Amino acid sequence: MRYSYMPGCSLLSTARGYDTSARAVIRELGSELVELEDWNCCGANAIESVSYLLSVALPARNLALAELSNRELVTSCSSCFLNLFKVNHRLQREPPLRGRLEEILAAAGLRYSGKCRVRHLLDVIANDIGVQAVANRVERNLSGLKVVPYYGCQTVRPYGEYDGPYLPTSMDRLIEAVGAVPFPYLWKTRCCGGILMTTEKAIGMSLVSELLAAAQGADCIVTVCPMCQMNLDAYQREISVQLGVRIHMPVLFLTQLLGLAFGLSERELLLDQNIVPVSGLLRQLQTV
Amino acid sequence: MAEKTFNLTRDMLDHTFADLVTPDREKLLTCIQCGTCTASCPTAYAMDYTPRQLWRLIQLGLKEEVLTSNSFWLCTACYLCTLRCLRGIACTETMSTLKRMAVSMGMEKLSSSARFYEAFRDTVRRHGRLHEVELMATFFGRAKRLGAMGYTRLGFTLWRKGKVSLDASAVNIRGLDQIEAIYRKVEELEAKP
Repeated sequence: MRYSYMPGCSLLSTARGYDTSARAVIRELGSELVELEDWNCCGANAIESVSYLLSVALPARNLALAELSNRELVTSCSSCFLNLFKVNHRLQREPPLRGRLEEILAAAGLRYSGKCRVRHLLDVIANDIGVQAVANRVERNLSGLKVVPYYGCQTVRPYGEYDGPYLPTSMDRLIEAVGAVPFPYLWKTRCCGGILMTTEKAIGMSLVSELLAAAQGADCIVTVCPMCQMNLDAYQREISVQLGVRIHMPVLFLTQLLGLAFGLSERELLLDQNIVPVSGLLRQLQTV
Repeated sequence: MAEKTFNLTRDMLDHTFADLVTPDREKLLTCIQCGTCTASCPTAYAMDYTPRQLWRLIQLGLKEEVLTSNSFWLCTACYLCTLRCLRGIACTETMSTLKRMAVSMGMEKLSSSARFYEAFRDTVRRHGRLHEVELMATFFGRAKRLGAMGYTRLGFTLWRKGKVSLDASAVNIRGLDQIEAIYRKVEELEAKP
């Protein structure tokens, strides 16, 4: 199947490994992501805190552009997903919003009907492509690898559109499909702190420390959100110093893990861009 | 949190407050103080008022007490409270509204968050997409934070790994005129009473 694809800003920079591996994995699975031309920032969590109308209008521009292609719009970033999905939800629930949004988009020469379906990449892999198709594509069995399925909050909340909003299982099933073992982890959807890591660092550090501590005993964490990946991956050295315990936990994007199982190379998955080195993990895979 | 007593006087109370902060006042007024929101909140431990306490203050109309607290600034929009609220209160959206209101009334306590959001808004206006290096530079400049030093090492690691580029114009989209038109129209609509 062909989808319109909006990678989102992080995937052009700090999460390039996610973008590259997502495109590669979807191609391997026989589907296609057609990048939405000239997409713009969805506003992340920031814009709703300064302007309600802008928080609707920015993602709506992307929806207006995507609607022209008649394809579903897939995004790999959980924040983009929520913002895009929320536009459709609000247009249905808040009738006065429609007129105001029309007026704003008209100023930019755009129109949006409210009908473009928004999908998270995880939803597409788990539910459109399916666990069986993923399992069929495996070349390198990851058997025995203990993998934490960390969903983060906005991947499934608040709408729980394609998976449970408390304890989702779609990623768990995909981890099993490639022969690995989902690590029991009750904090699958506990928040990583998002931008608090920048604005109120002590709080951000405490949230991330707790998540990493609960993951001890696993071989790696996988996630489908660029913000979660960054927060969990980038501060481990600092957290180790603070806690006085060495924490070394590779944090991969789900598509990087799937790519490894499909036999794709480290380079094709940009694994060298992850901050906590994944070399140990790769050696472990070779001995399996 | 220790018990706090208010000597309520008429001028402290703004009974229109609940109407302004939540998309659904009726629901907020039905809050039974069960505390599920607070129990769900990952940052409640650091808040001046927990979410449960915040709803009660809003019901009472203690506007200044609410808007000058740090509580809503620590909301990460994880939506767990919203999902679990027995009364169906739009807790997370209410937190966002409080952020906007506190800034517009000059009452923000955690100004670092407010400056971050504004820097984000302005960067996206200039480029159509987010440029992380410019965002951080703008934010640390405006927030006058020495904390920037703590991030230089991380910034260097990201640059060395090829994760960030220093050229902000590289992220520019073609439809910048559309973005500008959207920002202007929103400003115009929001300026109307």
